[in-house]
Amino acid sequence: MNCTTIDELAAAYVLGGVDADEERSISAHLETCDQPHAEVRDLIGAGSVLAAGAEPVRPSSQLRERLMATVAATPQDHRPILEQAPANEPTAETQTSIPWWRRVASPMAVAAVALAAAIGLGVWNVSLGQQIAERDEALRAIAGADVVHQVVGSAGSGLLLDDGGTAIFVAEELADLPSGSLYELWLIGSDGVPVAVGTAADAGGVTLVTLEQGIGDATTFAITVETERVAAPTGDPVLVASLEG
Amino acid sequence: MSDERGVDARLADRIRAGRTDALGELYDRYASVALGTALRVVKDREEAEDVVHDAFVAVWRKIDRFDSERGSLRSWLMTVVRNRAIDRIRGRRPLMGLDDADERSLLRTGPNPTWEAALERASAAQVQSAMASLPDEQRQAVELVYFQGYTYREVAELTGVPPGTATGRLRLALSKLRSALSEPAVERSPTGVTTFLGEELRR
Repeated sequence: MNCTTIDELAAAYVLGGVDADEERSISAHLETCDQPHAEVRDLIGAGSVLAAGAEPVRPSSQLRERLMATVAATPQDHRPILEQAPANEPTAETQTSIPWWRRVASPMAVAAVALAAAIGLGVWNVSLGQQIAERDEALRAIAGADVVHQVVGSAGSGLLLDDGGTAIFVAEELADLPSGSLYELWLIGSDGVPVAVGTAADAGGVTLVTLEQGIGDATTFAITVETERVAAPTGDPVLVASLEG
Repeated sequence: MSDERGVDARLADRIRAGRTDALGELYDRYASVALGTALRVVKDREEAEDVVHDAFVAVWRKIDRFDSERGSLRSWLMTVVRNRAIDRIRGRRPLMGLDDADERSLLRTGPNPTWEAALERASAAQVQSAMASLPDEQRQAVELVYFQGYTYREVAELTGVPPGTATGRLRLALSKLRSALSEPAVERSPTGVTTFLGEELRR
């Protein structure tokens, strides 16, 4: 493709109106050509102005929660993590029709959660530790915990403490709940079925919930926001922890 | 770099560092515009929200490819939204997956001071007014390509004109839109370079 042809296709190119082969040819040409191609460069960015002509529409309140939960469980491409999904495995963004409790148990999502927790934990532990010192129950739980799981997500971060029989979720300053809502806690086993194990109504200060059953064989711990205690999650998780490994 | 682009560039840096709260801020800035665009293409509220969700996840995943010196984060986001919306109504283009399309679209998102100035200044109503002022055949060509996902060759077939006429209509349409949205604060310019200098001199 020569310079003249590319300039003729400039408007179609910047609007995404050329076919795949032409787009590759034009992109490759522009990256290497020493001509200014003002015709193309002058039109670059025009598409976003056309998009600005669409009337803004306020998204539903659930969309932000769903997005943040997905992001919390989705690795960034430039941050290789413990385990990469096979190239042909659907990514979280293509899995919107699959319930989150089935998606979140995938190795990739779990690895992402663990990584996100590892990044944020250092600073978090300091302030949490200060507050927890005032809570005897939390202290006992921490002292007796055999295993500590990191819990992270769009609502904040916390710990799931497990002494082999009793499990306690503890967190500091979780995100404010919408009026009339509560946090509901879930354990999810390898069968992918979430089991409700408690609720927390007050997001202020330190949140501490003793789970209604031990972790057992569960592979994932998650928290959703619900308007009342429900038997199955109605929305995406705002906090997640892998219980494997 | 404009104030808006400066804010976006800092957001991009934080997103690149793995900060989910920065992606939340990006969402708060542009979700309504993104949903408006997606809804205009797919015409279904639930599907449009899925498009917006997937577009922001794509930006999260691929932020390392974005270079704020070479483009506008808003423009890239809107192109990703448009790619996904078109994908829903038209099916994937042969030989061009969405991931590939997202990365290639980075080349089509700037920087371009003329369009950025128009973006910061023009309301949706002004853009609509500028579109309405186009001759019917030019407006139709833009609509078919940008909001319905047809290529210029398909537009030529649909409208019964040679491909060169279809590309010419698109070129004329964008030229007129640029002029309409550049007035009065931004000087018209055939290259964009003098426009940019004019903007800088006014600061």
